Parts: sequence; C-alpha cells; structure tokens
Amino acid sequence: MKNKDGKKDEEKKTEESKTPPPPPTPLAEIKSNIALIDRAVSTLEPRFTHRVLRSLTALRRRTDAVVLRNAIDEIYPKDSTTRKSLLSWLPGSSDSGSSMDIDSSGKSTPQEPVPEVEVYIRLVIIYTLLSSSESYGKALQLAKETGERILALNRRSMDPIAAKVWYAVDRAYELGGELADARPLLLSAQRTASLRHDDESQAALINCLLRSYINYSLFDQADKLVSKTTFPTSASNPQYARYHYYLGRIRVVQLNYSEAHRNLQQAIRRAPQPRTAPGFYQAVHKFFIVVELLMGDIPDRSLFRHPVLEKALTAYFDIVKAVRTGSLSQFQATLSKHSAQFTADKTYTLILRLRQNVIKTGIRRLSLSYSRISLRDICHKLHLDSEEDAEYIVGKAIRDGVIEGRIVHESGWMECAGQKRGYGPEVSDVFGRRIAFCLDLHNQSVKAMRYPLNAHRKELAAAEGAREREKELAKEIQEGELDDEDLGGDF
Amino acid sequence: MPPQQSLRTLYTELIRSFTAQPCDINKCGALLSQLKIGLIEAGLLLPQGEPNLNDLLVARDILEIGAFWSIRARDVPSFDRYFSQLQTFYTDYGSVLPPSKREYPIRGLNLIRLLTQNRIAEFHTTLESLPLSADAIAENPFISHPVNLERWLMEGSYSKVWNAREEAPAEEYKFFVDSLMGTIRNEIASCGEAAYESLPLKDAATLLFFPNRSDLLRFADERGWQVNLTSGTISFTKKGEEKVEIPKQKLISASLAYARELEQIV
Repeated sequence: MKNKDGKKDEEKKTEESKTPPPPPTPLAEIKSNIALIDRAVSTLEPRFTHRVLRSLTALRRRTDAVVLRNAIDEIYPKDSTTRKSLLSWLPGSSDSGSSMDIDSSGKSTPQEPVPEVEVYIRLVIIYTLLSSSESYGKALQLAKETGERILALNRRSMDPIAAKVWYAVDRAYELGGELADARPLLLSAQRTASLRHDDESQAALINCLLRSYINYSLFDQADKLVSKTTFPTSASNPQYARYHYYLGRIRVVQLNYSEAHRNLQQAIRRAPQPRTAPGFYQAVHKFFIVVELLMGDIPDRSLFRHPVLEKALTAYFDIVKAVRTGSLSQFQATLSKHSAQFTADKTYTLILRLRQNVIKTGIRRLSLSYSRISLRDICHKLHLDSEEDAEYIVGKAIRDGVIEGRIVHESGWMECAGQKRGYGPEVSDVFGRRIAFCLDLHNQSVKAMRYPLNAHRKELAAAEGAREREKELAKEIQEGELDDEDLGGDF
Repeated sequence: MPPQQSLRTLYTELIRSFTAQPCDINKCGALLSQLKIGLIEAGLLLPQGEPNLNDLLVARDILEIGAFWSIRARDVPSFDRYFSQLQTFYTDYGSVLPPSKREYPIRGLNLIRLLTQNRIAEFHTTLESLPLSADAIAENPFISHPVNLERWLMEGSYSKVWNAREEAPAEEYKFFVDSLMGTIRNEIASCGEAAYESLPLKDAATLLFFPNRSDLLRFADERGWQVNLTSGTISFTKKGEEKVEIPKQKLISASLAYARELEQIV
C-alpha cells in the first residue's frame, strides 16, 4: 500500500515538475520530517524517527540538490555554521542558491534545530550524491565525516538515524569500489555501538560487516564475527532478515545444512513482501533451494510458479528436475548450461556438491523399481565410469541407509530388500516436534497479545453488571418458580 | 645492516640446501629456526604497514620453503603454522607482491591436509575463499586434485581415489596419500560390513587394495571379521535385526508435556 502511495506521489511530482515554479513536494516532506524528528527528540519517542526513516527510500528518489538547498535554507538560521558546512556538500549552480537566499531572507530566522536534524539531512545528501557516479568520492567523504560526527555527539535519540547512516557509509564504500577498506571503520564503529548499547546501529553494522566478508568469500572471518558478537534481539525485522540470510550462507558453506535451512527460512519469513523487495526474496530463495536439495529434499513445485521467483529461478528449476530424476548426465548438462548464472549467484560450488545427491537419488529409484539388478546395469543407468565404482557407491549407499539391500559379489548384482516400515519411534519424534512447534506458536502468540490499558476495568464492570443481572434473573426465576408452584398449587 | 646481512647469507644457504638432491632435512630445519628468529627481529614474520617489497618477497620465500620442509619432515602441525603465517602474504599483500609459483601447491597441500583430517567443513570454507573462479579451479592441477579427491570420497568412488594417488601434482602430496588410503580402507570396510554377507578372500583383497593376503588377514583380524580359510571367504557378522525398543521414558515425558501445555491452554 505504502509503496503504491509513494509511486503515486512520484507520478504526481513528475507531472508537476513539467509545469514550472510550484513548490516541490519533497521540500514539504523534508520539513515535516524534520518537525517529526524534533518531536521525537523532545518527547523521547523513537517512534516518530522511525516513521521518518520509513519514508526515506521513497523520498531519496525525489530529492535533488536544489530541494536540499531550499530545505537547508529554510531550516537553519542564516548565520549558522552547520548551514554553511551542509551547503558546501551540495553541488549546484550558485545563482539558484542566491535566489533562495533572497526567498528565505523574508522569513523570520528560525531556531537552530537539534543535531539529529543535521545528521538526517546529511543522510539525505549522501543518498543524493550516491545517485550519480561522479559524486561517489564526495559521498564517501561526507559519509565518513558524518560517521565521526555521530560518534562524537553520542546521543541515544540519534540511534535510528545513525543505523541508516552506517548503512549509507557501507554503500558509499561499495559504490566507490573499495568495500574492503570500510572494514576497519565499521569494526570500530561496531565496538562503540555495542559499548553504548546502541542496538540499532549495532544490528546495521554487524550486517554491513558480514556482507563485506561474504562478498569477498571470507567465510572464516564472517563465522568468527558471528561467534564473537551477539545480534541485538531488539533489532528490526529487515535487519534480522538480512542477518539470517548471511548466517544461512555461512552455515551452508560449512556443510551445516540443517542450520542453514533454518536460517534461510527465517530470512524468508522475516523478509518484506516479495513485491516490495524482490531482489532479496529471490536471492534468499536461490540459496534456500540449493540447501533443500543438499539436505535431500525436493523443493515445492509451487515455489517455481511464484510470480516474483518464476523467472529468476528457471536455472534452479532445471537443477531440481535433474536431481529429482537422478540423472547424472542431465545434471552435468544443466550445470554447464547455467554455469554463468550460478557463478554470478555464488551458488556454483554448492551445486557441485549436489553430484552425490544425484547419484543417491538414482540408486534409490533403482532400488525401488528392481528387486535385483546387476552392477553393470546400475553403472550404465547412472552413467558411472566403471562397475568397480558402482560397487563401492552402492556399498556406501547401503551403509548410509539410503537403500536397504545387499550386494552379492560373486554374481555381481545388488539385491534390494523391501521398504522399511514407515512406523517406529522416529514417527513419534516427528509428531513430537510438530506438536512442540504448535504449542510454541500458541504460547508465543499469547505472549505477543497486547491489552489496552485499563481495559480490564471495563470488563470488570461488565462482569459486575452481568453478575447483577444474573442475580436478578435468578431471583426472577426463583420468584417465577414460586409463582409457578403457587399457580400449580392453585390449580 | 648486519642483521639483514646475516639473514641474506642464511637465506641463500637455505635455498641451496633445500634445492640440493637429496635435500638435507635436518640442516634445513636448523636454518629455518634461525631464519625465523631473524624474521621476527626484522619485523617480517607478521608484516604490518608497508615494508620493503624485496624483504617481503624473501620472507615469503622462507616461509614457503618452511611449509614444504614441514611436509618432508612429516610435521603436519608445523605445516599448519607456516600456512597461517603465509596467509598474510597471500591475501593482505596479494595485490602488492608478484604471485608466487609455490602459492597454489601450498594451498592445495593445505586442502589435502584438511581432507585427511576429515575437516570437511573447513575444507569447503577454505575452498570458497580461494581467489579463483570455478573454471580456474578445474584448470589448476594443484587445487583440482584435492577437490576431485573430496568429490570422489563423498560419492564413494574409492577406486578413483586409489588410482589418483599416482597423479599427485607435486612430490609433497604423496605424503598425505598414505593416511588418505588408511581412511579409505576403513570406509570401504564399513561399507562392506553393511553391504555383503560374505566375500571371497581374493575379491576382498582387491576391493580393499591389499597387495597380499597377509595384510588382508591382519586387517580382517583388526575389524573382527570371521575368516574361513578352507572355503576362502570372509563372512561379516551381521549385527542382526536390532530389536526396536520403545523409548518409554521419552514417550511418557512427551505425553506429560502435552498434558501440561493443554492444561495451560484450557
């Protein structure tokens, strides 16, 4: 909904910009945002700041240097040093600036606003600078300076904005092509944030660092960072989604598939709506599918029909088909066909690990359909290199419990025993797990319920009333009964 | 500078004794420990900042020789130490220094080491962090060798692993082959126990890559197999159908937990 509104505004804005002078809406928005921040600081309510930051994505697409210049002119008193330093970051023609000066000079000079406002404006400026590739250097410089300023100011009411700024710092480094250089700065900022119990910045910083490590495939360091830090529990959902996604990626490299599966699932659940953030949704699903395959599961067919995922996941769909049929040749063909995409998604090495799963599936299919099959045929059907290999592979499959059966070496065939009965202690385990999940869900939702203040008084009053009425009713009935009896007696 | 000077002479001596045929392990070891002290004094063992490029090259060379020497001296923990020291040179100074021709052999050796110690998770983490694309890995003999070994081990294509032992891209790789073969034999044996009821002695020897009968008999003895010498077969003790026991304790506690939770809901 919100996104739609934003788009509408945008359309409106483009229409408006065609007809010359009317005041642009972004300016008004910035001003109202600043009023909100001011209120947040004076009432110590971070809620207002969050509201401001929610609109940041939509706002930053519509702002430009001129809008910002106007905003700064109107917000800051004329002789303020902050105003000068902020204006110095803005590129743009000087004549527009001077005309604005004339405009604003008519108004009464406003009060110097709180530092949060300054940081917020800096944040918007960074994003404006980041929108064109020429000003990356400048954006990076400003981002660094803003970071230092936040550290120096040390105000708790600034935390939500600071978190956004740190992300912008990371982004500025990345667009400047030197993501690795951001690490020392981010690491020290992370230490400071954790010392100051600045949960929001901490969450954002941990994610930035993980992203930087994983981008350079430094899974060792990323794992160490995860084990040495505690992700703040009060972090917002999007930050959590990111954190789970990175954790999932680390775990899958370490072959800890069940953990990876859990994390990626969490990431999917916590992620914003697929249409709002399709990129994240697709990236998580890519890894999710590979992890499911590695665990020996086949992902749901419906996943590949999802409108957001359908196109992005075609290559993965082919891989799933190959694994499902257990055909090594089809798997190899698919792998080489889509290798460019897998390399770009950084799933190539993970998919290479799937080879053994393909073989296992193939053997399981054979064991289901034949009661006795020669090793030569297995070798032929699974496209293995030699009978000798087939014997070892089947032996391993039997030991790992993939199939039930045995090899008769003298005659060179595999005999398959009947399927295991599908009932045993493991069934009760699964049942127990599901019940535990349901009960946990119930308990969590009970805990998450919110009760309006003093509502219970009303209820008490209502209960009192009900009791009164009940009493009356009972009395009436009693009387009525008596009446009846009397009547009866009379009869 | 006198300390640098003495480092130089030691260094040239090390290279000479390392490249000599046959290489003098003891002498190299003595030289290496002297050199390491020298490197620490010069601040080059774990370089920081921007030291002289040539010094770095020499330090890297010394550590690389040290890594190879540890393999030749069959000292795996020492190899581990040298490798972690080399990491600094390969990653942090990778953009400054010209690439070393020994880098990939050493990285490959490290991978094999992880494989033989069955540290598969670390194996994959290290593999992911290699600055190589997927195609480059396939083309690099030093890296593709351990990668293939791992794949075959996971699939169960043990004969391929066995055949690959002669294709080691460098002399030092063969050191790990023996311990790898031990791992494989145990794997095959445990597979065999599950998959066969009985096996002729001759076939068992080929399956387990034993060149002669006495080795096989010793191995069979270790694993507790029943060898029937008259008919020439090994029969594996079937663990029998394990009796499925009902986990009473667990079921009771689960039921109690359900009851408690239901009580709370109602």
